[in-house]
Amino acid sequence: MSDAVLATRGLNVRFGGLLAVNDVSLECRQGRLTGLIGPNGAGKTTLIDAVTGFLPNNALGSVMLEGTEVFGRSPHQLSHDGLTRTWQTLELFDDITVRSNLDVASRRLTLGAALLDYFRPRQRSERAEEVLELLNLGDIAERLPRELSQGQRKLVGVGRALVAESSKILLLDEPAAGLDKAETEWFGAQLRHLVDQGYTMLLVDHDMGLVLNVCDYIHMLVFGQLTASGTPEEMRNNPEVIAAYLGHSGGDQ
Amino acid sequence: MLARLRPIERAGVAALGALALAWTAGALLRRELFFDPVLFGLGSGAIIAALAIGLVVAFRASGVINFGHGAIATYVTYVYVSLVGDGQYPVPPLPNPVAPIEGIAGIEIFDFPTFIDLGDSMGKAPALVIALATAAALGLVAHFAIFRPLRYAPVLAKVIASVGIMLFLQAAVVLRFGARAKATEPIFPNDPVDILGARVGQDRLWVLGTVVIITVGLWLLFRYTRFGIATRAGAENERFTTLLGFNADFQAGVSWVMASVLAGLVGILVAPITGVTPNFFTVLLISSLGAALLGRMSSFVVAAAAGLMLGIVDQELFRLELEWGWIPDIGIRRALPFVVIALAMVIRGESLPSRGALTVERLPEAYSPRLTRGRLIGYGALVAVAFWLTVFAPFQYRSGMQNSMIGVILALSLVVVTGYLGQISLMQMALAGIGAFSVASFGTQAGMPLFISLPLAVAAGVGFGLIAAIPSLRTRGASLAIVTLASGLAMGEIFFSRPGWFGLDRGVKTTDPPTLFGVEFGPNSDFILGDGKIPTGGYGLVLLVVGTLCCISVMRLRRSRLGEQMLAVRANERAAAAAGVNVAAVKLSAFAISSFFAALGGALIAFNLGTYGTDTFGIFASLTVLAFAYLGGISTVGGAITAGTLFSEGIGIVVTNEWVIDVGPYTAYVAGFFLIGTAVYNNEGIDGFQRRQFHQLGAWLGRRRRAARGGAARREPEGADV
Repeated sequence: MSDAVLATRGLNVRFGGLLAVNDVSLECRQGRLTGLIGPNGAGKTTLIDAVTGFLPNNALGSVMLEGTEVFGRSPHQLSHDGLTRTWQTLELFDDITVRSNLDVASRRLTLGAALLDYFRPRQRSERAEEVLELLNLGDIAERLPRELSQGQRKLVGVGRALVAESSKILLLDEPAAGLDKAETEWFGAQLRHLVDQGYTMLLVDHDMGLVLNVCDYIHMLVFGQLTASGTPEEMRNNPEVIAAYLGHSGGDQ
Repeated sequence: MLARLRPIERAGVAALGALALAWTAGALLRRELFFDPVLFGLGSGAIIAALAIGLVVAFRASGVINFGHGAIATYVTYVYVSLVGDGQYPVPPLPNPVAPIEGIAGIEIFDFPTFIDLGDSMGKAPALVIALATAAALGLVAHFAIFRPLRYAPVLAKVIASVGIMLFLQAAVVLRFGARAKATEPIFPNDPVDILGARVGQDRLWVLGTVVIITVGLWLLFRYTRFGIATRAGAENERFTTLLGFNADFQAGVSWVMASVLAGLVGILVAPITGVTPNFFTVLLISSLGAALLGRMSSFVVAAAAGLMLGIVDQELFRLELEWGWIPDIGIRRALPFVVIALAMVIRGESLPSRGALTVERLPEAYSPRLTRGRLIGYGALVAVAFWLTVFAPFQYRSGMQNSMIGVILALSLVVVTGYLGQISLMQMALAGIGAFSVASFGTQAGMPLFISLPLAVAAGVGFGLIAAIPSLRTRGASLAIVTLASGLAMGEIFFSRPGWFGLDRGVKTTDPPTLFGVEFGPNSDFILGDGKIPTGGYGLVLLVVGTLCCISVMRLRRSRLGEQMLAVRANERAAAAAGVNVAAVKLSAFAISSFFAALGGALIAFNLGTYGTDTFGIFASLTVLAFAYLGGISTVGGAITAGTLFSEGIGIVVTNEWVIDVGPYTAYVAGFFLIGTAVYNNEGIDGFQRRQFHQLGAWLGRRRRAARGGAARREPEGADV
């Protein structure tokens, strides 16, 4: 409990009569890659939206970030608090370079900072340079997102989430969607590399192979409820998981 | 039914019910005060309602809010009036292929006919058929040539294209028939009838009845027929509907024809009652947009009812203002559409149904050139030529430069808010008007020196711009465009269209030439350089300096972090928020900066003209400015400079007049045409087009050079930018 970077307690999301996320309590521990799996429509993306403040009118419950209640804060405040996310559909900023994509997200822009930035020759954010280095994006830093491969774009998306001022945890929403098997494996290795450097992440995906291979601990969400949790070994043999995935868990390896 | 509404909507319904009860009570007590206006208001409300349901048809067909709907009504009405009156069918002005030769040689070789003569005067029935056939043709062209190619385009391009339709058709009407009002013979019997003691023209009731029948008919059509259901489905998910075997394209085409014919029919039925002017229906359209928004652009019944209510409330306010002198005369009645649209936004929120488009095409690229030495030399040369044209060239060029520099500043205001932030503002000239009227009120009337009055005027513009930008925090895209259009109208009506200290004096506003520390530098003031004729170069030089500074500051904005955050918000608001961008603050900053340039431009117009009215700052001026800015290139400073040269009476127009052909009267017409073309085929405007050509040339030269060197591989920096 003590080393939980992110902990939700009794999180509910309701759309009209539909309870899309039902009383979910889960934790992500420091330096771990936590997985969240579940079939289509289980509420995985909804859970991320709720945690990152995009559903202020539909969500209820508690979200603790390093022991501080952050439920109800707006998305950009959460980003500055160190709770960031990526998008299933990527959503990079098309008109600015990779470096600027990271730069935009790296620092809070106050009125003073904006004026200073405007009147003084621009200084690159050190944090952005660090992340470019970390992810080996240096070579493509001056390119526009549309000139990159799908795998590179995914990595830029991760970089943009990592670069937040005081990054504490990353929520990755189906990062492997649209990648082929080789790219997925490469991408998984990149994530593992980041976690081994001390970053904390929550990986949402329904690619069982990826999740089972790279995560330290896994939760399963079915119809908005957490139905199983455990280490990859435990989950591999969990009858609930096998039932939910209709026996796919073994075959995907 | 009521249970499905949100609490705020339920509260709205309850408030309407209470109002209706109070109104009924009032009508029983004082008939002339609370009943007669209702009866009269139904007449004008019927027009608003009819235009509103036409908007809904077009939106359902292709997800487009058609700002050109009123202009279609106008055009078709003029066709009808011309046929009935003179038996003449107007031919839209067509380009004369040999015009440049004629212009230079000073002879006339060839001319298109302006009218086709169909006999003396035509019966109403055949004229109606021909006019409505014209409307159908306009609908087909609108669909197949404009909105079908724009299916997957960003909202911005669709709005721009519909603004282009409006400018184009309206200019066509002015070119063919002049700006004066036209009257025509009645269609419906117009003897007055008595209803519960109130006398009202029968024809109004006929129009009302027609509108009610059409509304019910459309409702039935879209609710119960296979066609209607498929069209609704197609608007929501085109791919799926196509898979089910429906031809979504055909259905959208049919709907466009219906919308267009409906617009024409309304115009023709109404013209005998009210007469018609070139912008009559477009002004009414703003109210209709409010009504259609209240119906979420999808409910015929709600849109029609809201339209009727608008007409009634308008008449009622008019009557009450006469009756009760204590109601302050602050133009509330004329700002009514704004109030309704603002309410619709609060109640309905961002709930316009959006189409499940397959892909959305890219927005125009916000290209920002690297400042290489070559480019700096180029900019320097540009400024040098501009300097010569401003100070030493003959007077018409100097005057053209003044207009162009102001145009550049106004276009820059749109580059910031539309190009960088991605939101459409149709109120820029109203903000300019605030600047122009403030600088005269504070400076000339209150006697403040320029260094106080000008900043005050600009601050006033920024203030109003910020207030008008508040809805942008909740709404975006086409809905926001409507809000800004209505805000612009309200600013004009409330602040500067009426006589008073801030507004007009005997129909005009006058300002003294600008003076700083005893030096007068208006367009008519003495200046040491140049030939001394009016306009002298002094004011132009000031404009050149100010304009250049504005260009530099917007270029720097684009490279600053705030500018990049604007582009992030433009790309995706949710993703920007998740990346730590304070979307609300960035939006308000963009609107503030944009208003700054607009108000500054307005104040500079004031000094340039000396005496001016409200037309310069009306909604049509705002639409025209957007047209030129988009045409030049909405997302780059180079585009704003290009836009400046194209501005009405700008340097580009002067040069064309001098060297090629007098395009003066055709400016709006040609601009509208090219605006549509730009929106459909090249959303980066003239500037983006030139840039791409230039890059291709650079890449080609690079290849040749490499080939000449025997393939020594060296990548050209120009090529990397493409």
